[in-house]
Amino acid sequence: MRFLVSCAIAALLATSPVLAAERTVTDDTGRKVTIPEQPEHIVVMHEPLLGIPLMDLGLDLTGSFGRADDGSFVIAVDFIDTVLGEGKTKPKGFGPVGQLDLEKLRALEPDLIVASELDAGKADQLATVAPVYLQNVGSSKVYGFDVEEDLAALVGREDVFAARKAAYEKRVEDLRAKLPFDPAGRTYLPVFLTDQLNVVGDSSGMVQALEDLGYSRLEVGAPSGASPAGGSMMLMPLSAEEFGKLDPDVLVLLNSYMAGGRDEAGTRASLSKIVPGWDQFMKPAKENRILFVDPAKVITPSVASAEHMLDAIAGWNETTQ
Amino acid sequence: MIRGGRAIDGKRVLRLAGGLQMRTGNLLAGACLVAAALALAALATGLGLTDTGLADLFRTLAGESLPGAENYALWTVRLPRILLGFMVGWAVALAGAMLQSVARNPLADPGLFGFSQGSMTMIMLLLVFLPAAPKSLVVLAALAGGLTVAGLLLWLVGSERSSGLSIVLMGIAIETVLSSFGSLLILYLPTETSIALSEWLAGSLFQANWTVIAAFAPLFVLSLAAIFVLGPAMATYDLGSEMAMALGEPVGRSRPLILLTAVVLSSAAVTAVGPLVFLGVLAPHIAGFLSPAVARARLFLSALMGGILVLLADALTRGLGGSLPMPLGLSLTMVGVPLFIIALRLQALRKLQSH
Repeated sequence: MRFLVSCAIAALLATSPVLAAERTVTDDTGRKVTIPEQPEHIVVMHEPLLGIPLMDLGLDLTGSFGRADDGSFVIAVDFIDTVLGEGKTKPKGFGPVGQLDLEKLRALEPDLIVASELDAGKADQLATVAPVYLQNVGSSKVYGFDVEEDLAALVGREDVFAARKAAYEKRVEDLRAKLPFDPAGRTYLPVFLTDQLNVVGDSSGMVQALEDLGYSRLEVGAPSGASPAGGSMMLMPLSAEEFGKLDPDVLVLLNSYMAGGRDEAGTRASLSKIVPGWDQFMKPAKENRILFVDPAKVITPSVASAEHMLDAIAGWNETTQ
Repeated sequence: MIRGGRAIDGKRVLRLAGGLQMRTGNLLAGACLVAAALALAALATGLGLTDTGLADLFRTLAGESLPGAENYALWTVRLPRILLGFMVGWAVALAGAMLQSVARNPLADPGLFGFSQGSMTMIMLLLVFLPAAPKSLVVLAALAGGLTVAGLLLWLVGSERSSGLSIVLMGIAIETVLSSFGSLLILYLPTETSIALSEWLAGSLFQANWTVIAAFAPLFVLSLAAIFVLGPAMATYDLGSEMAMALGEPVGRSRPLILLTAVVLSSAAVTAVGPLVFLGVLAPHIAGFLSPAVARARLFLSALMGGILVLLADALTRGLGGSLPMPLGLSLTMVGVPLFIIALRLQALRKLQSH
């Protein structure tokens, strides 16, 4: 009997590191998920919204949906390069967008799959490979770089996030001191140009930086039928007619990744196609209150994107003074 | 006892003791299609990143265990896709073949009659009001949508003397209204719901797993029974509903039953993989080109062809394997439409030569 008890204790001790190395968490959709205490092979289902915040915490990603097998990115912009800088190790892909390959995913041997609430329908199939954590990314559910904070808690990197946030807040204070005016009480409106005008939602480093400086969002009424709560990055579409009447203290313009250029010239050209002559009659344009920013740097819900936004505001402040 | 002989039109037939008669050509075509389906399934077990296939499958069936990756690729990814793909293709093609006989229209399929749209619209509405609805409720919603359209169609078309053309025209009208409503829903739903719906509308076997197969398998078995029970009625419907009545077919009872069967098959398929547009038209025509048939034989050959086309389409989707996304609906069109065109062209040439 004593021998059996000893064997049982030995077996328990042998397995205890594994047991201790796991914990059960509840994801944003209410699912209970058992994940490793310190995940080391993380795969993300959306790189700009989930992968960049994780990499900003100093983690390397094992896989990212939307990348090719060799790690190259399938859309126009590689967010790892634009937000975090070139030279980072690129995660591998597991099938083209719209056609996830479970075998390729399993070959990456992930120990955690981080997906968004948009992937809820795929969660059961993904869970045949590794634990799946569903993180909210929708503009109506998360704000600023909340996603990075949530993911820091998930992967046990709260201290890294706290350090990143403290450094960021110091930069916010420094910039606010340099501005010739107090942004508090001034309004901003971020508009993303595709083939239409879109008001950008709250979940981005850009919005976090603007509001931490003291700016507040210019409230724009939703057009009838549009869903102001929908979308992961965009809040709602905006009619060209309505846009022409708007007068925020700062109009933030971002050109599509797919368009010719994301700089000021490219953005101006894109907007002229949607609202011809806008720079002749819009008050922010006539009074030089427009900030052109590269969405590929500032749109992700990460501290890094918020810092890029601070850089953009600082640069704008210098040129307009 | 089986005896050989010739039918009235001179074609070779096999006569069974119970009076059942089968054309030798149809039997041969059926055997060839079964062989083709098995060959394709065998080929499909070897398609994918992991180096495994039929040999490993036989090894596991013999009791040997496989390494994790090979076991996962075979039993979690490939076999469920193959089995579900075949059954879904079978169901849609069978529904299409039944509807073509009832409507006496070679273009009829669950999509043209609005059954698929009825199921889709109901699923969309369910997802709008209950985004986290369980799958069982989604199946019921699809069935309810399809049945509502079928009921509406029967009510609008009216008496049992109404022609097949009136069913088709009314079906197109309902389908158009529901498609417009579906487009409106996708346009104005929150982005996340729209994206999920759009992915599902493109068709995919990604969700194939043993639970879905277990839910679909009884329906597959029932479809075999439906072929045997409803098959003979199809031959009379091919001649028109009035002639069918004149031949003793109880149209008032059998037509709703046929529509109900088509709705159930179509709804189940839509729920499992999304709408497979045009498959209900493609498969019966290609099967008819391979071996002209009526009644049970036509239904059986059409269903087999439907299963084969989906297997081929999925093999193409997985075989390409590069960075090019290929939804099942697209690969099905790429595989099926050239075959359809070739079949129609050869049929036309055959007719020209006979004149």
